[in-house]
Amino acid sequence: MLRGLYTAAAGMMTQQRRHDTVTNNISNLNTPGYKQVTSVGRSFPEMLLRLTGVEGDKPRRIGAVNTGVFAEESLSVHIQGDLYSTGRMSDFAILSDLQVPGVQFDGSGKAVDEDGNVVYQPQAFFTVRDADGGIRYTRNGAFLVNDEGYLVTNDGSFVLGTDNNPIQFPPGLGLDRLTLTGELRFVDENGADTGAQLLVTVVENPNRLVQEGYGKFRLNDDDADLARPAEAEDRIAVRQGHLERSNVDAAQAMVDLMSALRAYESNQRVIQFYDQSLNKAVNEVGKV
Amino acid sequence: MNSSMINAMASMHAMQRRLDVIADNIANLNTAGYKRKTASFEELLTTLKEQDERFAQAGRKMPLGFSIGWGARMTQVRLDLSQGPIQFTDNPYDLAIQGLALFEVIADGEGNRAYTRNGAFQARLNDAGDIVVTTADGHPVVVQEENGAEGPLLLPAGYDLQVDAWGRIRAVSGDGSDIVELGRLKLVEPVRPEALLAVADNLFAVADGVDPADVIRDVQPDAENDVRITQGALEQSNVRLETELTELLMVQRAYQLSARALSSADTMMSLANQLRA
Repeated sequence: MLRGLYTAAAGMMTQQRRHDTVTNNISNLNTPGYKQVTSVGRSFPEMLLRLTGVEGDKPRRIGAVNTGVFAEESLSVHIQGDLYSTGRMSDFAILSDLQVPGVQFDGSGKAVDEDGNVVYQPQAFFTVRDADGGIRYTRNGAFLVNDEGYLVTNDGSFVLGTDNNPIQFPPGLGLDRLTLTGELRFVDENGADTGAQLLVTVVENPNRLVQEGYGKFRLNDDDADLARPAEAEDRIAVRQGHLERSNVDAAQAMVDLMSALRAYESNQRVIQFYDQSLNKAVNEVGKV
Repeated sequence: MNSSMINAMASMHAMQRRLDVIADNIANLNTAGYKRKTASFEELLTTLKEQDERFAQAGRKMPLGFSIGWGARMTQVRLDLSQGPIQFTDNPYDLAIQGLALFEVIADGEGNRAYTRNGAFQARLNDAGDIVVTTADGHPVVVQEENGAEGPLLLPAGYDLQVDAWGRIRAVSGDGSDIVELGRLKLVEPVRPEALLAVADNLFAVADGVDPADVIRDVQPDAENDVRITQGALEQSNVRLETELTELLMVQRAYQLSARALSSADTMMSLANQLRA
């Protein structure tokens, strides 16, 4: 059987996934706090080919082949997005550059030591509780105060304070009169503390975060120990009246889109060639 | 199904709506008291394609599962209540607010209240034959008397309206010999602007089922705050054309890019159809 037919089909499916991922990045070009996603492909396990039915007792070895490719993971790129001013006091943006002792991170947020061990840069997130009570992490700080005084996200998830409870402001007190201090406390115009302190969570390895949609991420139960509340010495700042722009690079997205399309086309061509070969085998080999 | 296509379609729809908001702002560039609207965006749901244990290969960075996003949506339109420039008109019925406050007006015959920043008021005769100060749409302005009683602003016939910076209202007779104290303008501060509902032309109301005390609070101009009233002036719209046009540009380009993704997805489908040429 023509082995490569399935390989080319797998290639088409993988490129389709890549195209979908890039399209989603483009869709979220203007979504605050959005983190670009890259789809990572992996080849199918290697197969060793041997020539059988030859003279002699041992089959001859031909070599290893990979018989396909699949989209393995959809990796979020957690690099800092630009901040922009909105002038709305209920908008918040995280600026973080967390360091690990003895490690120098590169621009993509990872560091490789001499032995080849990789350390990923920890990232900071707002901590929210969704309708089902699950703890989620987000970089989208476009919050609002609802009519009950709770600080909530766009989809109604509660923003948590350092006491792990939703932040609630007393009636008659809105964010226009409150300022966020460097310790992430909300103080009013006279400098009086409201008692609410914003909880920023540090995730040690952001690659273990799973995209939940609506700008939220979650950690699986077995990765729960990767999260810890931010400490004073962490290099994290939260800016009130600002939002973090999506970190999608439009030019890169366009190039990825075109290359995914063309690679898809190439795979389609390969299938057509296989089809022609089959056509020859079926209709022409036996022709008298 | 080709999820790129659905994705691009959903986000083009969202961007179209954002364009509508920008168009609304630009159209109201010269509307007195207009407050600019901003659209906020959010990612749509993500579906997680299950992967079994065999996918946990060496070098993998993420937990099992391959997630696919489905585009973006516009979540809500929010008000930007920042101050607009004050323009003098010399019309005594034009009042402008400086600072964070709204005029309170009577919205309907049942006495329900609404709030506005548009201080282009006028005097008109009501059914009872009294001169009442109303908005351009006929909603009477609310005044608060010394004893706390509230009612529509009624002007004695032949008297002129006089409002000072603290919102105190006096009626002055034509020759200036008689002055009648009418109380103070009723002003409210929007504490939770997101809970206010835009009901009509430049008019906001508290949604049904929401306690007004949670959303707004009474405010009086005084030495403590920076709320002031200017008579004979109008607050212009706080829309700035350069901001809007920059946003327009960004939305348009993002829309274009999504359209490219859509046509690229279309090409992919066509390629799949031509597999057996």
